[in-house]
Amino acid sequence: MTTWDQFAQFVFSGLTTGSIYALIALGFCIIHNSTGLVNFTQVDFVSLGGLMMYTLFLGLGLPLPAAFVLGVLAVTAVGGLVERLTIRPARSREITVLIFITIGVSILMRGLFKIIWGKNQMALPSFSGDSPLIILGAAVLPQSLWIFVITLLVVGLLHYFFSRTRVGKAMRATSFNPRAAALMGVDVNSMILLSFALSGGLGAVAGILIVPITTLSYDVGVMLGLKGFAAAILGGYGNVVGAVVGGLVLGVLESIGAGMITSTYKDVIAFSILLLILFFKPGGLLGYGEKQKV
Amino acid sequence: MKHYLGLLVLAGVIIVFPLSVSNPYYLNVANIIGLNSIVVAGLNLLIGYAGQISLGHAAFYGLGAYFSGILTVTYQVNPIPAMLLAMLATGLIALLIGIPTLKLHGHYLVMATVGFNLIVNIIILQWDSVTGSPSGFPGIPNLKIGALVFDTDQKMYYLIWGLSFLIIILSLNLVRSRVGRGLRALHGSEPAASSLGVQTARYKVKVFVISTMFASLAGSLYAYYLTFISPKTFDIFFSIELVTMVIAGGIGNVWGALLGTVFFTTLPSVLDVFDEYKDIFYGLILVVILIFLPQGVLVGIKEYFFARKRSSDKDIQADDGGRVFSRGSSAAFCPPLGRISPDRTDDGVILSVRDVSINFGGIMALAQVSLDLFEGQVTALIGPNGAGKTTMINVVSGIHRPTEGSISFFGQEVKGKRSYYLAGLGLTRTFQNNQTFSNMTVLENVMVGLHAKTGKEFISSMFHLPGTGREEKAIEQRAWEVLRFFRLEDKGHWSASALSFGEQKRVEMARALAPNPRLILLDEPVAGLNMTETDEIAKLICDIRNQGISVLLVEHDMNLVMGISDRVVVLNYGRKIAEGRPQEIQKDEAVLAAYLGSVD
Repeated sequence: MTTWDQFAQFVFSGLTTGSIYALIALGFCIIHNSTGLVNFTQVDFVSLGGLMMYTLFLGLGLPLPAAFVLGVLAVTAVGGLVERLTIRPARSREITVLIFITIGVSILMRGLFKIIWGKNQMALPSFSGDSPLIILGAAVLPQSLWIFVITLLVVGLLHYFFSRTRVGKAMRATSFNPRAAALMGVDVNSMILLSFALSGGLGAVAGILIVPITTLSYDVGVMLGLKGFAAAILGGYGNVVGAVVGGLVLGVLESIGAGMITSTYKDVIAFSILLLILFFKPGGLLGYGEKQKV
Repeated sequence: MKHYLGLLVLAGVIIVFPLSVSNPYYLNVANIIGLNSIVVAGLNLLIGYAGQISLGHAAFYGLGAYFSGILTVTYQVNPIPAMLLAMLATGLIALLIGIPTLKLHGHYLVMATVGFNLIVNIIILQWDSVTGSPSGFPGIPNLKIGALVFDTDQKMYYLIWGLSFLIIILSLNLVRSRVGRGLRALHGSEPAASSLGVQTARYKVKVFVISTMFASLAGSLYAYYLTFISPKTFDIFFSIELVTMVIAGGIGNVWGALLGTVFFTTLPSVLDVFDEYKDIFYGLILVVILIFLPQGVLVGIKEYFFARKRSSDKDIQADDGGRVFSRGSSAAFCPPLGRISPDRTDDGVILSVRDVSINFGGIMALAQVSLDLFEGQVTALIGPNGAGKTTMINVVSGIHRPTEGSISFFGQEVKGKRSYYLAGLGLTRTFQNNQTFSNMTVLENVMVGLHAKTGKEFISSMFHLPGTGREEKAIEQRAWEVLRFFRLEDKGHWSASALSFGEQKRVEMARALAPNPRLILLDEPVAGLNMTETDEIAKLICDIRNQGISVLLVEHDMNLVMGISDRVVVLNYGRKIAEGRPQEIQKDEAVLAAYLGSVD
C-alpha cells in the first residue's frame, strides 16, 4: 500500500466516525441553544439507538428500514420524556443543577439499559454486507457509505428545518433570546421539549449507524458521546455548522493520528485536540464567541 | 470565627467514632469518606464560591496517588516529601490548565477538565512501564513519620480526619474573608467584581489550584493507606461523584458539602442490597434531590424544619450625620447651576482622554474623542442612543481597550489597564443594567467595594494570620457607615436580590463609593426610577460631589443632567459634538440637531 493509499484510508475511516461525532455534536448544540445546558444524556441516546435497533431488527425481526425509523422515533420520544420528567419539574433554573440532573438521568438510564440488555457485547449486521469497495485506493465499508449518505440527509433536513420552517425559526429565535421569543408568541417550553426530542433522534441515528462497525453494549455511547462533545467544542459550542465541521475534523485528525503516530493513545489524541482548542481558540474553529454584555 | 458549635460537634464525632465501632469495615468506610471530604472541601470552594465546575478532580486525586506511589516505590523518596512534591506538581499542572481557560468568561473549565480527566486516565492505563500494569500499581509502603508508622485503619483514620478537620477550618476561614467575598462577587458578576478591584482571573485560577492541591493530598493519603492503586479509581465517573457530593449536599456551604460527602460516599455500599438495580437507584436519588432540593440536602432540611427568618442587625449605631466621603474639598452645599466654571486650567484635570477611537468589527463606536474631567466636578456625558456613551465609560473603566488614543488618570497612562487596577487607583463605576451581587447580602455587596482598599489574600485569610481579623472588622465598620449614608442600614442583612430596583441601584452606588474613590463613573443611575427616587439620587450625587469626589455621569434624564452637572459633553455617532456648561449646551445648535433632527 502506498502512503497515499494509507492516507486515503485514514481519511475515509476518519470521515466515517467523524460523521457520527457530528450527529452527536448536533444533539449537544441544539439543547445548548435552547437551554444553555450540556445535556449528558446525549451519550445514552446514542446507546439507546443501537440497543433499540438490536431489539427491533434482530429481536422482533422487523425489516431494516422499519426498525431504523421506529428506533429513531422511540429515542426521540425518550428525549422528550427526559425533558418532561426531569428538566421541566426542576425547581431550580441554575445551570449547574440542571446539568447534574442530566448526569443523574444518564446514570439512571445506563442502569436500566444494563438490566434490560445485559452487560454483554452484542453485534449488529451492517445494512448491506461487509465486502469493502475500493474508492481512491482506500477500502471503504458499505456501512461507511450509508453513514455518509444518511448524515448528509439529516444535516440537509436540519438545515431546511431551521431556515425554512416556522417551528425551526421559532427554535432559533428561542436560542437567541427566549424572553423576546416568548413575547412574539413562541411557546418556549415546547421549543425546549422539541430540542430534547430532536437531540434524542439525532443521537439514535448516530448509534444505529455506528454499531454495525463497532460493537454494541449498554454503554457504547459514552466514549462516542464524549468525543461528540469534544467535536461540538472544536467547532464552536452551540454553533450548528461548527458541530458538523468539528465532528468531521476531529474524526479525521483522530484517525490520522492513530494511524500514523500511535493507536494506543487514540483517545488521548481526540481529547488533546479538545484541550488545545480550548487553550488557543476557545471559541472553536467556526467561533461561538463569548456573550458578555455590560 | 463563628461555626464554633459545628466544629466542636464535628471534632467530637471524629474523636468518638472509632471508639464506638467494632467492625473495621466501618472504619474503612469512614476513612474513604474522610479522603473524599478533603477533595470535596476544595471543590466546594471552586464550585460554590468561584462558580466554576471541574469534572477532572478524580484525575488530580489520581495524580496525587500516582506521583506519591511512583516517587516512593520507584525513586525511594520518603512519603512526606513525596506527598509535598506531588501536591506541587499537581498544582503546577492545574495552573497550566487554569490560566488559559479561566481568563475567559463562561464554563470553559468544565470542558477542559473533562478532556484532562480522560487523557490522564488513558495515560495511567497505557503507560505501564511507569504506572505498573493496567490492573494497578502495587507495593506502596505505609506512611511513616519518624518512628510512627500509619499501618492500621485507626491510625490512618485520625490522620485523615485530622487533616480533613484542618481543611474544613481553612475553608471556613477563606469563605468568610475578603477573598471569599471576592470569589462570590465574581460568581455574581465578573465585570462588577473587577470594577471594585477583584482580580477575577487570578482569583479563579488560585482557587482552582488550591482545590487540586487538596485533591492531590487526598490522593497521596489514599495511596499510602491502601498501598495499591488502580486506574479505575480515578476515572471521570469518580469526578462526577465528587461534584455530585458538592451539589447535592449544598453548593457553597461547607457543612452541606460535608453532609453530601458522607451521604454519597456511603450510598453505593448501602445500595448494594439492590444488587444490579444499584445504578438505577443512585441515579434516581440524585435526580430527585436535585429536582426538589436544588439548594442541596442541608438547606432543604433546614428549610423544612425551621421557618426562614431574617435577622436584622442590632448594633447599628445612630447616624452622626458626619461626612462619610472626604476628598478635601470644603464645598458645603450643592452650588446652583453652573456656578463652577467649566473653563478651568489643566491643574484640576484628573482624567484626560485623548483622541480615543474604538472599533467593533468595523463599526467606529468612538472616533477621536477627547475629554477632560476636572476634580470635584460632575461632568455629564450625553447623546442620543448609540452615541457611544456607555462605550466611553467602558473604555475609561478598563473593560474595553481603545484601538487608539491615550487615557491618563492623575497623570498616569492607564490605557488598556484592567478594571481591578483602576479600582486600586481610585476609579470605580456603576452599571447601566444592575450588576448587584444577587448571591450576597447588601452589607457584603458594600464590603466587596472595599476590596481594592484592603489587602489580605488567600494565605492570610485561610490561616487567619495576625491582622486579618482587624482588617475584617474595619471593612465591616466602614460598610455600615456607607450603608447609613445611603439609608440602607435596615436592609444590611437582606439578600441584595430581595431589594427593589431603585434600592439595588443605591446598593451599586454605595458599593462603588465605599472605597472613597477619586472618580466615580455612573452609567444611567436613574434609568427606570420614579421621580422621588430620581430626586434622591440627584441629591446623593450632589452630596458626594460636595464631599470632593468627581463624577462622570451618563444619563438620559435631561432635568437631572442640567440640574446637577457642572459641565456637559455631548457625543453623537461616536464623535464629540459639543462641550460646555449646561446652559450653553441647551442652546447649542449641533446638539439640538442631534437630538431633534436638523432644521434645514
